[in-house]
Amino acid sequence: MSRKSERLINLTIALLATKRFITKSEIFKTIEGYEGSSESKDRMFERDKDDLRSLGIEIEVGSFDPLFDDEAGYRIKQERYQLDLGDITALEISLLSLAAQAWQGASLDDAAQRALVKLNSLGIAVDEANLPDSIPFFSDEGLDLPKITRAIAEHQILEFTYQNYDLSVENRRVVPIGLSTRSGYWYLAGVDQSIEEVRTFRFDRVIGTFTVKRGPKKFETPENFDSQSLFERVKNIDAVIDVRRGKGTSLRAIASSTKSIGEWDQIQIPILDMKTLSALILWHGDDVYVHSPMELREIIISSLKDILETHG
Amino acid sequence: MAKNPPKNAVSPLERTSRLLDLVPYINTHQGISLVDLAEIFEVSTNQMISDLTTLWMCGLPGYTPLELMDLDFESGYVTIRNAQTLARPRSITHEEGVALVLGLDVLRSGISTERTDLIEAISSLSQRIARLVNLPLALSASSDINHEVTTSVKEAIAHRSGLQISYHSLYKDEVSARVVLPLEMLESQGYLYLHAYCFTALDFRHFRIDRIQSASSAEVKKPSTAPPENPEKIGFSVKVVRPTRDVAERFQESNLEPGTVFKSSSFSQHWIARSVLASGGAIELLSPAEIRSELAKRAKMVLNRYEG
Repeated sequence: MSRKSERLINLTIALLATKRFITKSEIFKTIEGYEGSSESKDRMFERDKDDLRSLGIEIEVGSFDPLFDDEAGYRIKQERYQLDLGDITALEISLLSLAAQAWQGASLDDAAQRALVKLNSLGIAVDEANLPDSIPFFSDEGLDLPKITRAIAEHQILEFTYQNYDLSVENRRVVPIGLSTRSGYWYLAGVDQSIEEVRTFRFDRVIGTFTVKRGPKKFETPENFDSQSLFERVKNIDAVIDVRRGKGTSLRAIASSTKSIGEWDQIQIPILDMKTLSALILWHGDDVYVHSPMELREIIISSLKDILETHG
Repeated sequence: MAKNPPKNAVSPLERTSRLLDLVPYINTHQGISLVDLAEIFEVSTNQMISDLTTLWMCGLPGYTPLELMDLDFESGYVTIRNAQTLARPRSITHEEGVALVLGLDVLRSGISTERTDLIEAISSLSQRIARLVNLPLALSASSDINHEVTTSVKEAIAHRSGLQISYHSLYKDEVSARVVLPLEMLESQGYLYLHAYCFTALDFRHFRIDRIQSASSAEVKKPSTAPPENPEKIGFSVKVVRPTRDVAERFQESNLEPGTVFKSSSFSQHWIARSVLASGGAIELLSPAEIRSELAKRAKMVLNRYEG
């Protein structure tokens, strides 16, 4: 086992150190660890190349001399191998280590720790004096986030079964364009291929797993899309709501402004989703009163009438 | 959450990856102790010695002392020379980039908007990392969980000491001060919970960590050995009028059809009443009768305000 690691390290060093492409026969002659018949050496080398590539190391294949139909040569470019984030400051290193800590106990904890070791290998001191004093953190249930982000980067199609609001179950084919988390839930935004419109999906409403399929030939991310907009208001209006003093903590938490009007406070809430907001308002019963918009008032009034009809 | 098993028995590939990362790390941390190094790379000291021994055999073709890396770790402290080729850390992988970009974003969500210096640094870093690993800037994250609260809770669990918390009870819609003895943290359905003995309720309770607004240490007596009396759970039954995902998720019921009747129970009458209200007519509460008539009264009162 250590022989294999040793050979892979030696191969990496040799391919990194060379400026020109080196051929397979040169590799077999000079690098320790390639033994046996020429076929078994070939097989070993093919596997080693695949292994290094799976570690994210790019091996360039080129010709030794372009004028002759030579044996292929190999090398690893230093600038592709090395971490290059440009000039990086002590404060930036510290922020990155806090970013990594946010994954403690969550799905990308190991990846974050590995990244941190690499960053710390740059040998830059940390700047703790200027850091924020609280670190929020992630919670997730072992989601395969890199599968999703790779699909976003490569415009692949994700296929999955989704539970709709009316509890019907539907197969979706979506080119994902954004991934977000809010309040412990993970969301995926993408262009639903059957309606060609942007839709948002909550991960815990996906039944089973995501299957990755090759994406459409021509795909362009809808203009003006950024993942923040997933959580910005749908309509360009705030709800204006009265909340009894000392009550409605969860409504106050999402309010953009509050002003006191005696026994009550008037708050404004950016509208993300009418259904979610109206359920939250109904939850609070007589501690809340909706002024506007009209649409929200009407949802509340008709829901209350429904409740009275079934329970009266 | 199970702690990661010791990473000694790993594939040659994982080991290769670690060896490649060891060289630049030692290079900028010359003289680091074997024990510290093993801890940072999450392996046993013996595994680390075996790793270093392997590295010691590696170098440029020729493999004479001139070409081999020169490692010294016999004293228990590690130094490295002649390792120029691998001296700089490897670039980060796609997965590592995802972790950092999302981590930076969740960090930004917790920073006050006045700290423009930090916010600018974070957005510049996100862009650089995203470019490096071919990651679209289409990720965003924020978290409601307060790190100071979790730190206090973890410390209290470790020291078996008490905590004074201010807690937002969603069912009663009240913020209350409570003294608790924390026992453990649990994760369920994407939320972290604190399982604790509550001296206000005189019973064991689960508190959602993101609803704990502050926590500070407090003197407590061990709860008496006599098992506290469990309050009665309130049974209720519900008939589905219009099946919705909201109802399914709120009551954790599946296979809902119009007319389906299901039974469940809760410690809180507030929770039952509010859940029926929030469902906005999609369900009918069949029993208990008191809660049913109370919530009808409440709905009438609210409706009168709108129509009055």
